[in-house]
Amino acid sequence: MGKAVVEVDSLVKQYGKLKAVDGISFEVNEGEIFAFLGPNGAGKTTTVEILECLRPLTSGSANVLGYDVTKNDDVKKIKRSIGVLPQDFSALEKLTVKENIELIGDMYAKHIDVAEVIKLLDLQEKTNEKFENLSGGLKQRVGVAAALVNDPQLVFLDEPTTGLDPKARREVWSVITGLKKMQKTVFLTTHYMEEAQILADRIAIIDKGKIVAIDSPQELISQHGGLKILIIRKGDKGLSDILQKEYDKVTLDKSGDVSVKVDDVEEMWRVIATLTELKINKEMEIQSPTIEDVFLKVVGGRITEEGELKQ
Amino acid sequence: MKFYVIFKAVTKNWIRSRSGLFFSILFPILLLLVFGAIFSGTGGSSNFGIFVQNLDRTGLGGTPSDLSTRFIEALNSTNAFAIKDVPPDVNATDYARNTLGPLGGNIRILVISQGFQDDLVNGTLKVRVGITYSTLNTSYQYFEPYLNDSQKVAFQQGLAQMQQYNESLPDRRTSLTIMLDPSDQSASIVSNVVMSVANAFNYQLIGAQNVIQFNQTTVSSTRMTNVDFYIPGVTAAFIMTNGVIGLTSNTSEFKRRGVIKRLSITPLGKMDWILGNVLSQTLLNLLLTGMIIALGWVIFNVRIIPDLFTLLLVFLGSVMFSGIGMLLSGLVKDVEAASAIGNAIAFPMMFLSGTYFPVEIMPSYLQTVAKVLPLTYFSEGLRYAMIYKYAEGIYVNLAIVGVLAVGFIVLGSLVTRWKEK
Repeated sequence: MGKAVVEVDSLVKQYGKLKAVDGISFEVNEGEIFAFLGPNGAGKTTTVEILECLRPLTSGSANVLGYDVTKNDDVKKIKRSIGVLPQDFSALEKLTVKENIELIGDMYAKHIDVAEVIKLLDLQEKTNEKFENLSGGLKQRVGVAAALVNDPQLVFLDEPTTGLDPKARREVWSVITGLKKMQKTVFLTTHYMEEAQILADRIAIIDKGKIVAIDSPQELISQHGGLKILIIRKGDKGLSDILQKEYDKVTLDKSGDVSVKVDDVEEMWRVIATLTELKINKEMEIQSPTIEDVFLKVVGGRITEEGELKQ
Repeated sequence: MKFYVIFKAVTKNWIRSRSGLFFSILFPILLLLVFGAIFSGTGGSSNFGIFVQNLDRTGLGGTPSDLSTRFIEALNSTNAFAIKDVPPDVNATDYARNTLGPLGGNIRILVISQGFQDDLVNGTLKVRVGITYSTLNTSYQYFEPYLNDSQKVAFQQGLAQMQQYNESLPDRRTSLTIMLDPSDQSASIVSNVVMSVANAFNYQLIGAQNVIQFNQTTVSSTRMTNVDFYIPGVTAAFIMTNGVIGLTSNTSEFKRRGVIKRLSITPLGKMDWILGNVLSQTLLNLLLTGMIIALGWVIFNVRIIPDLFTLLLVFLGSVMFSGIGMLLSGLVKDVEAASAIGNAIAFPMMFLSGTYFPVEIMPSYLQTVAKVLPLTYFSEGLRYAMIYKYAEGIYVNLAIVGVLAVGFIVLGSLVTRWKEK
């Protein structure tokens, strides 16, 4: 595990009586992709914007790359060293891809060659295209290019795939995976479970301003995801009754599928052995719990496509 | 030099925007062309249409009397009117309405009543005889002690006959009737010109000579055209709209789309952002001023030559109105609302600040309003600098615009948020 590049301790952000961020503490380690997962209004963007020095904190502390976000001198150093793709990224519509990336690059004392960043994000064909003519996915790629132009150690990507179609979303995912290969630390906020599970090394689930779970996806699933399910397709009541005699959690659904919830791998093999003995030659599927199950368990709801929490 | 990067980027973004280019440069130029065409006196007739019904004729349907014809000729000689004759046997109003049609414009009718010539002759004789009687009577009073009896008698008889003749003349005034549309904005001009012609006709008939000679000249050192006087107004008005409407909308749009937020995450400072925008506005306004004056030179033969004060005023005006634009976009969160408020401020200001109409013709309460509008001082300063070359007027307005520019840009920068709450 690398050293911590983001250190947050008891961070609070309050608007009147509302606590948008309610005493959260976490660390982001060098070289990892850290995902902040939560529904709209959970406090993800507020936290990220505090770390980007865009919003003042109410109490607690936050250090980015060893600098304090509340100190003016440190703020300048943080701004020089981070890359940011803000939520709903946009640029000057009439400027080209190259001009927009150059504009951001020129804000820094030093920046890497714009052509190099364009190549990195596979935007060569769109170099001289006006920003207004780009698709949503390409616009996000320009945003990521702008976030990388100052060669930052730490990149904040705030909801980078919101509103994109599945194809464009996967394009952005491949860019994010590429950042990890470039040994950048990525702080990702998202309300997409799948995105967090696929991309992140560690996930912090945030709800109503509080972190309710934080760990690697595998650990979160193993701690909170619940049981694996073995499904025997197109079974029947007879099979269901036989299995129910030996195992506790057996159900038969309307389509005839028989589901057996198993506590561990050992129990799964025992079920399979039973089926072999009975000479059951049906199609089988093993369903593992996902981050969605974890979220359901720890938050008590699901997140809709639009990012709203559904209890 | 980050402000220079911002200046380049926002200017490039503006130049490539068709609507931005239209409203900032082409629209003012089109407006100048329209104003120029109206007020330059070029491009053909620009006189008032008027129907004249001459009822003073010898017998029904006969030929018009000599004096009524000469009066119409006198009206015609002013070049102020396009006269259309109305036959004597029709209703003049109906005739005019039918002739003009539903979209024909304002109806103006002058009716020369029957007996015009007789009344005019009798009236003129009555006045001239009256004056002669008065002159002789005064002479008689003065010389009476030196006259012998027969001379006195002859004098008294002559005076008595003259008085008797004068009293025999009918005491009727010649009347002209002018009918005007209440909605006609040119009604007072038309009425005054007709009245002036009638007075001149009167004086000519009684043989009065002009005692007062009226000379018209210009207060400007160079001979100016009407369009010269519109150029500072149009320039000032559109420099104002570029800041108050254009910059407000652009900045609000940048804010809504997160462009400002994106830039504020970089090491760019707030003042660099503001300075870059102000410089962009200044360049745009210098271009606008240059194009308006050049167009004036080429098409309307104007004589305006911009000097250093003009450039300084354009710069300070750009700063002042950019400050107002920044202030509005900073205070109003919603893009549409910011744009609407910009329009709501700019349009009344444009018409109340003496840019198109002189402040003096407005009601006194509106004149008071004009005094608190920044555009009043900016357009007045430009007029002094471009046309009158009146140093004191330039300095005073330059100072006021300078102070307002600093004030508004400070306020604008205070409300421009570079950090979220």
